[in-house]
Amino acid sequence: MLNWKKHGLIFSPTLNPPLVNGVGFAQSPQALVFDDYVRIYFSTREQEASTGKFISRVCYVDMDKSLQEIIRISPAPVIGPGALGAFDEHGIFPFNVLRHKGKIMAWTTGWNRRVSVSVDTAIGLAISEDEGETFSRHGNGPVMAASMNEPYLVGDAFVAHINGCFHMWYIFGTGWKKKSPEAEPDRVYKIAHAKSDNGINWERDSKTIIDSVLDDDECQALPTVIEAGGRYHMIFCYRECFDFRLQQGRGYRLGYAWSGDLSTWHRDDSQVSQLMSQGEWDSNMQCYPHLFRCDDKVYLLYNGNSFGKEGFGLAEMML
Amino acid sequence: MFSWKKLGKVFTPQEVNHLPWLKEFAQAPATLIFEDFVRIYFSCRPSADEKGMYVSYSAWVDLDRHNLFKVLRFAKDPILSLGGHGEFDEFGTYPVSIIRDEGVVKAWYAGWTRCESVPFNVAIGMAQSYDEGETFQKMGPGPAISYSPDEPFVMSGPKIRHFNGQWQLFYIAGSKWKKVDGRAEPVYKIRMATSTDGINWKKLNKDLISSRIEEDEAQASPDVFFANGKYHMFFCYRYSADYRGKQNGYRIGYAWSVDLIDWHRDDSRAGIDVSESGWDAEMISYPHVFELDGEVYMAYLGDQVGRYGFGLAKLEGELI
Repeated sequence: MLNWKKHGLIFSPTLNPPLVNGVGFAQSPQALVFDDYVRIYFSTREQEASTGKFISRVCYVDMDKSLQEIIRISPAPVIGPGALGAFDEHGIFPFNVLRHKGKIMAWTTGWNRRVSVSVDTAIGLAISEDEGETFSRHGNGPVMAASMNEPYLVGDAFVAHINGCFHMWYIFGTGWKKKSPEAEPDRVYKIAHAKSDNGINWERDSKTIIDSVLDDDECQALPTVIEAGGRYHMIFCYRECFDFRLQQGRGYRLGYAWSGDLSTWHRDDSQVSQLMSQGEWDSNMQCYPHLFRCDDKVYLLYNGNSFGKEGFGLAEMML
Repeated sequence: MFSWKKLGKVFTPQEVNHLPWLKEFAQAPATLIFEDFVRIYFSCRPSADEKGMYVSYSAWVDLDRHNLFKVLRFAKDPILSLGGHGEFDEFGTYPVSIIRDEGVVKAWYAGWTRCESVPFNVAIGMAQSYDEGETFQKMGPGPAISYSPDEPFVMSGPKIRHFNGQWQLFYIAGSKWKKVDGRAEPVYKIRMATSTDGINWKKLNKDLISSRIEEDEAQASPDVFFANGKYHMFFCYRYSADYRGKQNGYRIGYAWSVDLIDWHRDDSRAGIDVSESGWDAEMISYPHVFELDGEVYMAYLGDQVGRYGFGLAKLEGELI
């Protein structure tokens, strides 16, 4: 059984607002480790003047290696707004970074609003040549969008470079469902896997790789994978399809699966049950996990209640 | 040198009374030739909804092979249903391009969805027919060719061809949305992808046709016809602003190539222009060239991008 040590909330966007005109949130923390500090990217929100709706912008916070002290916060978002009509016009969330051959590659999940359903998403690529300070887009379009058998939302990329190959774990929508005929449609999505030689052209097999434990409509999001102790560990979050925003017990919690070969995954949520808490910042919801290694330790960043409105916290996998 | 002799309009959608989904428009003609008749696929619309919004369907009309102005019958229903909630073709299937392949009739079509900041987005789907092109089944709920880094949106106007044992898909891809008087107008250029199996596509990632009238010229309907050792492309183009009337509206252009990759544009050779008066006096667009019984024809749209139907013209001279 995995053993976890919780370090609590480590970043609050309320105490440390990342944007001058921001409206809070620090969602989907993702780490880039430097010699003396850890840079943690996250999506925070601003409000669009014309519509009053939210736009997610990517910022970072640099923390010391104890992951308790804030060193600095990005002076501005690390990537500019998306183009009119582009897949990421209404924000980027999440933002997954990987150091590769002297550059920082970032796979973005871009959001654009639709009329009949609330949103569509696709995965883009951005590159930084200044150690992750700023990023430019590899084109205005996505590297992975809806396809014949993945007709809805494609997003939540997590990329690792293993044995000369890029592996991406991501999610794709399997349908929009209505709880009742009058209700707004809710999305259902599942975790899948793709491979690439260059991080741009991806081969996907369009099949779900993680069993559902709730029911067929279980929504699975933001997979993160790390190797430790001779096997691959995946943590993700999952929830019910309907009423997940309001009703206790239906929102996001953390799920877990392991694999010996990166192909077959064995789900076992009991491995992360130790992370559950009561009466805390993360007692109603736990979501958007990110595993990373820093100085021989394996850490888990994640969001708590209200999808990361209060910030993100840290736990340590005791090896 | 060649030119096109106009023969007139084939039918007027407003005069077709028995099909609720065919009230206006007969756009983007594409032919499939049978022994006794010529089936022309086109895209049409029912009346607009209470907000003035249209959906578009694709269907066909059969014309007498020996008299192309004699309508034999219309499809009973649109050949493709609209997509489900959140699917790429929820609000339209337009246009469609058709080809026979080993007993199956294959269709590539553009699917339309509606967006918030811009009016729409488009991606290319695929469907097959096992009854000689009467009805079609989608190959999946998602697009066959979708957005990529250099083709970020508005993937539309597919034209499928099969030359030298390889599949070519000519299509358009949006390069920008341009704000004109507060309205977002799409700029799109002609592109191509190739495939050995018709399923997995390799995009050329290049604008095939240079822009002539302005940098933001929009180009559509890349219709490629092989004759006399050369590939001939007829397409249409328009200005980026105020293009809904005669002055800046669609005209038909021409380019040729020997290798399908490098194209030489020469609109002065297109051999067709708007008429002095009549149904195609303001704009002409969406050309489709086909050969029938020793003659070469062009089907094309008239005013308001085919709101009142499409017509035919016959080639005079040689495509050289």
